[in-house]
Amino acid sequence: MLVSNKILAVVTFLYLFLFFAHLVYFATKQERVLTFVWVALYVTFGLHTAGLVVRWVESYRLSIGHAPLSNFYESLIFYGWCISLIVIVMKKRLRFPLLTMFACLIALGFMGYASFSSSVDKKIQPLIPALQSNWLHIHVFTCFIAYASFAVSFLAGLFSIFNWKSVMPPEERLEELNYRSVMVGFPMLSAGILTGAVWAHYAWGSYWSWDPKETWSLITWIFYALFLHARFARGWKGRRIALLSIIGFASVIFTYFGVNFILSGLHSYGAA
Amino acid sequence: MSATKSNVGREGEPPPSPSFLDHAYEFLSSVTLAIALLAFIAVASIFGTLVKQQASPEEYLSFYSESTYTIIRFLGLDDVFHSKWFIGAISLLVLNLIFCSLPRFIRLLKSRATVKIPNEKALDAMGLRCLLPGKKIDDIAGVFKRYRNAQNNEGSRVLERGSLGRYAVYMVHLSIIIILVGGLIGVLFGYRGPLTLAKGETKDSVVARGSTSERKPLGFAIKLDDFKVSFYPSGEPKDYVSNVEVLENGKSVLQKSIRVNDPLNYNGVNIYQSSYGSNPVFVFDVGGERVELGQGGVYQKDKLHLLAVRYEKSVHNFGPGVQIAYVEQDGQPQTTWFLKDVARLREKSILGTTVRLDDIKEDYYTGLEVSRDPGVWVVWFGFALILFGLYVNFFLYHRRIYLVEVSKGVLVAGTALKNKEGFKEEFEKLKGKLGCS
Repeated sequence: MLVSNKILAVVTFLYLFLFFAHLVYFATKQERVLTFVWVALYVTFGLHTAGLVVRWVESYRLSIGHAPLSNFYESLIFYGWCISLIVIVMKKRLRFPLLTMFACLIALGFMGYASFSSSVDKKIQPLIPALQSNWLHIHVFTCFIAYASFAVSFLAGLFSIFNWKSVMPPEERLEELNYRSVMVGFPMLSAGILTGAVWAHYAWGSYWSWDPKETWSLITWIFYALFLHARFARGWKGRRIALLSIIGFASVIFTYFGVNFILSGLHSYGAA
Repeated sequence: MSATKSNVGREGEPPPSPSFLDHAYEFLSSVTLAIALLAFIAVASIFGTLVKQQASPEEYLSFYSESTYTIIRFLGLDDVFHSKWFIGAISLLVLNLIFCSLPRFIRLLKSRATVKIPNEKALDAMGLRCLLPGKKIDDIAGVFKRYRNAQNNEGSRVLERGSLGRYAVYMVHLSIIIILVGGLIGVLFGYRGPLTLAKGETKDSVVARGSTSERKPLGFAIKLDDFKVSFYPSGEPKDYVSNVEVLENGKSVLQKSIRVNDPLNYNGVNIYQSSYGSNPVFVFDVGGERVELGQGGVYQKDKLHLLAVRYEKSVHNFGPGVQIAYVEQDGQPQTTWFLKDVARLREKSILGTTVRLDDIKEDYYTGLEVSRDPGVWVVWFGFALILFGLYVNFFLYHRRIYLVEVSKGVLVAGTALKNKEGFKEEFEKLKGKLGCS
């Protein structure tokens, strides 16, 4: 077994631990616990990053060197990493224990699925010719940062709907968080789609071929464009915007998983 | 951030009876239409991924009942993205974008030319303001170095920052139109088609994909010198390389190794590595002479006629074999199988000549994809503009600071439509530098 797989399995347990640490905070309401949670989050993120780097190095040892962004296992791990990254970068606005708790839970979900599901191949696989391109890095990075931002927007929407009074961040902060994460996610998704198109032009000879993955990313893009217009041109707020961010994330998840498992096309690396 | 494209109702008296044109304009320029069209295009696209596109009738009928298939055909769901109604919706969206954005853009340009200094009462009402007693504008101008002078009057000044932020929405909308126009140029003036080349083969035209299946001349000839495939130990393909030569009037003008992700570009024609395949080549020993036959290949010597009819990778589980047809002495056509791995069936006597199958080689051919798309640079420009526009729209914001000399000193007031919180912080810093409370 690869060293990186072991590190990443430990990281998975750390996310579980972080989830419980949040619960301890909610039970005790001690600020000290929260300080500890943030330190633990930094450590987890550091180790998560190390796991990715070690995997990268290991791929060179197997003389098929490539960034760990090429198969389903690696994309799940990277998704978890992006969520942590967003939480840390947006720390100022995300300083709500309920939010960080659910962010850790989502990261745990992806990491756990990647590390412990038998259907996910954890081996480092060589790159097929179509993936041998520098566009791979920028394309995957922008897409997953977008996916992670939309996950944060989803959480903000979810909390607005459920409105758990005692633990919930104030409504206006949630709304601000919601559109701010879409403000990061939307340009990133655009960049992801466009870098994908440029890459497709060089690899397949056509920048757009209505492949299911492309089409679904466009559907998600249109959806968030609608979100932005509803929010800024129509002044939608509260429940309606919250609902939009939840449906939007469903579209993200379908773009990521659904297309790989249900629809087939040029982008079928994930399911393979 | 707040209303960047708020639906400001048009000022002025409405005409007594709005004409058809007014109605049409109202309809085309509404945000409601934009939202409806985007939703429609999204839903249509979902159908385009759920129903297999451009498949054969047999494929559809194996999935759907005949009546469902009739509905699919009727609605054009078997080719959503090329159907008239889908293209119609996109065209309407382009019109909507123009009618939505252009008047607002013009209004913005006009408003720039006529920045009004708010009266003292309006300035007092601004949330962000402070008074510097006993100062003149020139005394404090140094603090606002990073702001642009939008207007300079006697006793008042208007300063701006991030004005680009106000144009970003129009940049994004314009770039969507540019991308679609680029796509249209490609559809109208470009073509795509597959091109297979065996080693040593030369071709100078390609059959374009699409309804017409037109043969398009490339304007040059392309010759495959060599083709190589390499595999990883796991058996997955690692690299396909087609070494080609571009020929003009029979003369070689360019040599290039085409790989996946590394196409050949010559005179606006792009040639991509897309697939490969192999044809069997049968190596025979015919009465001591080495003969190589491809599928359908013919050998003739004196009365001996051999034709390689059929190739099977596995003949009744005895390994690869080739069926050879020949003509008997009496003129009767006959066939017989040669099996590579079965000694008994490897060598036969035909019309008294010993014919032996020595080997079956794989002769690789390359599958190239040819495309000419004169619109691609327009699309790239649209991509760059949309990313720039989105960045500016979300991360820059326009704010104005008014400096007005009043009887007690200089009044400093600021407004921002977007990112009010960020501007508040910025204004507090300015206040600190100015030393006013």
